[in-house]
Amino acid sequence: MAMTKKAAANEIEQELVSAQTPRQTVDAWFAERKWTVFAFQKEVWRAAMKGESGLLHATTGSGKTYAVWLAALQRAMLQDKKSKRKKSGLRVLWITPMRALAADTTRALEEPLPALMPSWSVGTRTGDTTSSERARQTKSLPPVLVTTPESLTLLLSKADAIDQFTSLDMLIVDEWHELMGSKRGVQTQLALARLRRWNPQLVVWGLSATLGNLQQAQDALLGVDDGIQKRTLVEGAIKKNILVDTLIPDNPSRFPWGGHLGIQMLQPVIAEIEQHATTLVFTNTRSQAEIWYQNMLNARPDWAGVIALHHGSLDKDVRAWVEQGLKSGQLKAVICTSSLDLGVDFLPVERVLQIGSAKGVARLLQRAGRSGHAPGRVSRVTMVPTNSLELLEAAAAKHAIAKRQVESRAVPNKPLDVLVQHLVTIALGGGFTSDDLYDEVRTAYAYRDLSREEWQWSLDFVARGGQSLTVYPEYRRVLPDEHGVYRVPDAAIARRHRMSIGTIVSDSSVQVKYMSGGLIGSVEESFISRMSKGDHFLFGGRILEFVRFHEMTAYVKRATGNRGAVPRWNGGKMPLSSELAHAVLDRLHEAAQHRYDGPEMQAIAPLLDLQQRWSGLPTGKCLLVELTSSREGQHLFMYPFAGRSVHIGLASLLAYRFGKHQAATFSISINDYGFELLSPGSATTAIDWKKLLKAPDASGLFSIENLLEDVLASLNAAELAQRRFREIARIAGLIFQGYPGQPKSNRQLQASSSLFFEVFRKHDAGNLLLTQAQREVLEQELELTRLRDTLLELQQRELKLHETKRATPFAFPLMVERFREKLSTEKLSDRVARMVRELEEAASKK
Amino acid sequence: MQLLPQLAAYWPAQRTLIVADIHFGKAAAFRAQGIPVPHGTTTQNLAALDDLIGTHDVQCIIFLGDFLHARASHASATLDALRRWRARHASRLLVLVRGNHDAHAGDPPEDLNITAVDEPYELGEFSFCHHPHAHAQGYVVAGHLHPVYRLTTAGDSVRLPCFVFGALGGVLPSFGAFTGGFAITPQQSERIFVAAEDSVFEVPGNTAAIDSDIHL
Repeated sequence: MAMTKKAAANEIEQELVSAQTPRQTVDAWFAERKWTVFAFQKEVWRAAMKGESGLLHATTGSGKTYAVWLAALQRAMLQDKKSKRKKSGLRVLWITPMRALAADTTRALEEPLPALMPSWSVGTRTGDTTSSERARQTKSLPPVLVTTPESLTLLLSKADAIDQFTSLDMLIVDEWHELMGSKRGVQTQLALARLRRWNPQLVVWGLSATLGNLQQAQDALLGVDDGIQKRTLVEGAIKKNILVDTLIPDNPSRFPWGGHLGIQMLQPVIAEIEQHATTLVFTNTRSQAEIWYQNMLNARPDWAGVIALHHGSLDKDVRAWVEQGLKSGQLKAVICTSSLDLGVDFLPVERVLQIGSAKGVARLLQRAGRSGHAPGRVSRVTMVPTNSLELLEAAAAKHAIAKRQVESRAVPNKPLDVLVQHLVTIALGGGFTSDDLYDEVRTAYAYRDLSREEWQWSLDFVARGGQSLTVYPEYRRVLPDEHGVYRVPDAAIARRHRMSIGTIVSDSSVQVKYMSGGLIGSVEESFISRMSKGDHFLFGGRILEFVRFHEMTAYVKRATGNRGAVPRWNGGKMPLSSELAHAVLDRLHEAAQHRYDGPEMQAIAPLLDLQQRWSGLPTGKCLLVELTSSREGQHLFMYPFAGRSVHIGLASLLAYRFGKHQAATFSISINDYGFELLSPGSATTAIDWKKLLKAPDASGLFSIENLLEDVLASLNAAELAQRRFREIARIAGLIFQGYPGQPKSNRQLQASSSLFFEVFRKHDAGNLLLTQAQREVLEQELELTRLRDTLLELQQRELKLHETKRATPFAFPLMVERFREKLSTEKLSDRVARMVRELEEAASKK
Repeated sequence: MQLLPQLAAYWPAQRTLIVADIHFGKAAAFRAQGIPVPHGTTTQNLAALDDLIGTHDVQCIIFLGDFLHARASHASATLDALRRWRARHASRLLVLVRGNHDAHAGDPPEDLNITAVDEPYELGEFSFCHHPHAHAQGYVVAGHLHPVYRLTTAGDSVRLPCFVFGALGGVLPSFGAFTGGFAITPQQSERIFVAAEDSVFEVPGNTAAIDSDIHL
């Protein structure tokens, strides 16, 4: 019996291990490293050993991974000890929201294995997994698998899925706060419902940042409570010191320009970076990151190679290189977007700068937590205002963080597009009967209130192509057999479905490649379509020259010079959170009494003084309205401070309620502080705002009566719903995005979501996917609940009307906003006739 | 030739209606691939044709290609509806100038009594085609592009189906109920006519010379 030294050592270790309880083994492993076991880690271990599931949350700080991972290992050690035959197959499943995190997670999980579980290996399965690795996993999954929600769903779409998960004992969802508010979270809920159905004892733990609605976060993760398992909410106890401060501009302008990117703060930012080893500079958009990177390099050419750019449109190899540079401490600064919000901790990071307002307390806390991981350091985030009014947000953010007023995340309510996709997935993954799957789906939190009718509609949609009364003989997607088991009969449909699994819907994007080869990343098709040969643009931190466009790829070469167009990526701007908005109103209330506390408020005092002199200050008690006229027409400005999404709804609602008196087209401009309604024309032809606001029934403008009907009747609701429908149509499988590498395949199946939207509206008005689009607009884009709350608040505020000669500091950014929404109550042909007339007039003036 | 807000053209001298890209059976082709599209688009197309026949003296309809969407569009429900409609208009001449979709889908069944020809189909001073740049003797009237135009003024913007007319030829918007549109950028010499509800408007600005023999 020849035995290698290593095997012999393993044998001895096993012997030792089996002599101790799993907990003693783990304690010994900690002691060996001179690590202390935190109380919250013990709490998770105890709970998990008793078979409880739960949610572990913490503001910042480490130790969360070992809390759940060592719990899983202790459970496994105990099971292996009890049973003579070792279990094979998948034992622990680790779900991560980003596939880029999978590699780091795998490394972290592997670390204690040689000592604690030498026979185990950790596999990954994401979109990046090679086909040979997949093939190996098809035979048998490794004991531990790190995967994404999409890859998990793909595993569930295999006909023998149930056999792959028979040994699964524990499942961990990392960064649950990141998933729970999205349809990806719902997809995860449905997958968990299936796994729990197969094994009701399955131990599930989530890791989350601190949220305003932790109980709901736990319910969403663990599903409707069936009483089988006890559930535990554990708080990661380390309350690290978090320092929040602001870089105050030397000369805060009294006229904040909305579109300004605050490059005048470049020198102070460079000075900050200079003083520290490694700094993360967060921006709110990819375009902003590109611009800041470029300007910084222009100011400090000697920093080439030690500062880097990181955002979601850059190629993954580029991003991996930057992350590696951060870990090794080689980079002095990285300009990034939310792309670096998540992920393993970069120990060398000393400072975090936030360019522009973070718009939310949770986001700011999260970003602060990216710094100060080395022992003895505090987490510190410094806000860099990009316009004067952001000083106000900075002051408010400090207060909100001190009080730990953290936002909640809403869980989507029964999105039927995700359900429709899931039905086809499960039809592939062994098939289902209607009653069984209905019961299973309703254990998922998002579908707890799914009615029998909604269920039947969804089933009919995939099985018959629509309403149960209509017969489509040519339709086939999912068919029941003689036992009522629904399956997918057609291999081509099965293949297409597997390619389309997931809920991430990206805009049509184009790869950007050098002529010489080498992928840089991707930009939106609409941006490239406006480029001509020889045009320059800024991307990936370089000035590129556009050469040609071929098969969804833009070929470029390096350009000289330092100017170029900056791509804009669609992607909604985050609205100011309600928590932060209220904190801002509190600061304004103090300012109205001439109280300016703290450096931020001191710095913005001149602007607020001017605003008060010319008009007034909006506060929690006073709703400020300003009227002014210009060459463009008659402007109305209103400042409810309720965030941009509420303002879109509110502005549309008011325009609609005004428009009931007089058909008109309004131009709407919004920001997080307020909105502008512009009625084109002179004082005699345009809307007379003052008359409308002074009318006896003016208080009805803010009424919550008929709120839903009025919001829906405003034309924009339909347009917004049509935009929303793009995502729904894609998730529900109406639109197929093509096989990889052959984007234009299957021409005969091409139809845009807006076309589907029109056809459904005309011929199948009861289609529940339309209802869902409308609901998503109301709940998510217009935040109807918050809109209702805002209206109630506004009713309590005193309306103060000021007629101003020119735009005030608060009005100015709204007036110069280039992106405007339109709202029209005119008949389309009248509207077009008017537009044609305007164009003719304009042409004849030339 | 009159441009109709119903997205077709009418040629009074020849008592002829011209319709581009109707794409019959597109919804059925989608359904055959497991993509649920509701019923009603065929009926809607036929009703729209009936309306035009009712308001104009129509002896002949020229379809500028893409009459049937795909092979799977030969679905029995679609063809039955077409046959019933054809029976009600038995005396009229129907001409199909084959388009790219017809090449895949095949000609309409013979009992529909539609004369299918390759482009160009010459009639009077016009050459009726599917593809806009087809070589022909006359002024080319074509489809294929499904053109839409974004009408933009200082304060407003709408996307509308449109007719495009240049020096050598013109393009009609797609007529079919389940067809999308593709935004076009007009050339200097082209005139754009947008359709909105019950009216057609010419977009000001593009009024360069068009062969004066062609009366639009």
